[in-house]
Amino acid sequence: MLRRRSLLAALPALFGLLPAACATVDDRSRAADDVAVRLLAAVADRDGETACALLAPATADEVSGSAGKPCAQAVLDEKLPDPGTVTGTDVYGQWAQVRLTGDTVFLAVFPGGWRVVAAGCTPRPDRPYDCVLQGS
Amino acid sequence: MKRFLRENSLGLVFGLLFLIVLVAQGFAGLADFNDRQLTEGLSEVSLGRYLTSASFATDVAENWQSEYLQFFLYTFLTVWLLQKGSPESKSLDEAGLESDEDQKVGEFATADSPRWARARGWRLSLFSNSLGLVMGLIFLGSWVVQSVAGVAAYNEEQLGDLQDPVSWAQYVREPDFWNRTLQNWQSELLAVASIAILAIYLRQRGSPQSKPVGAAHTATGVEG
Repeated sequence: MLRRRSLLAALPALFGLLPAACATVDDRSRAADDVAVRLLAAVADRDGETACALLAPATADEVSGSAGKPCAQAVLDEKLPDPGTVTGTDVYGQWAQVRLTGDTVFLAVFPGGWRVVAAGCTPRPDRPYDCVLQGS
Repeated sequence: MKRFLRENSLGLVFGLLFLIVLVAQGFAGLADFNDRQLTEGLSEVSLGRYLTSASFATDVAENWQSEYLQFFLYTFLTVWLLQKGSPESKSLDEAGLESDEDQKVGEFATADSPRWARARGWRLSLFSNSLGLVMGLIFLGSWVVQSVAGVAAYNEEQLGDLQDPVSWAQYVREPDFWNRTLQNWQSELLAVASIAILAIYLRQRGSPQSKPVGAAHTATGVEG
């Protein structure tokens, strides 16, 4: 598993606090990885309730609204890939990007922890990722 | 105590004003940050979280680096550059490093002179350039901090826009870095040019930044 440290860790490094800063960034990276993998696993296991609980509120609303049915049913209709292996994670402030084999997931911090804002994302040159599942 | 306050009032007042305004900036910045959070459907962050964020660090550092660039350039270039009629300039016949006698160094130092002003060699050279050096080092240091905090803040926005983050090496070539840098530099350079030129013709009685009210417009290097 590859991890890329947030460059925010470079700031405290100037003051010799690298071990503590890296521990914090690694903890946050691991937490984001966990949520991303659990979302994809929940969809693969047809567990819509768990999947929706891991979505950002705006994303859950978009999934439900665009399908015209509860999120727990609508999310299972989304064509998300199976959970792969995490190949890299970037955490900057309130946002994280988790790259897996076959998918890229964007997450943001909410009161309950990391929540998925967009998943099933594929890159486009010089443009935002095109995501199967994202908020409005 | 009274005497201490009176004799140090300039540094104390500006130091206190700086702290007050920095605190106010923290609150204003938090409100602005949280406005954007809500617009993006995210949760608001606490003051503590914001004050330790890359966004706040960038906003502070980008202003500090330009202020110290201004002080460095102003301190250093006024050794040689002249402005006729301005109290910000030396007299027209004083361009350059001036004589040891005028600068009270070496054998011309007095009993009150700082110790390294009486020395020769690297100590005198270092002390003779210490003001410019420190201003320059603080400028470079805060510019580096701006770039490091800036790339983290920029990447936070990148991820929020569902785009890939960039490296530090890529960020220092990004328009965001140079837009922040240059908008600060232009205002600092304008400020120096403004005071140098306006002080030729305008007066502020009692201020060391002004010529005496009755001084001629052509009088150069005199203070009020």
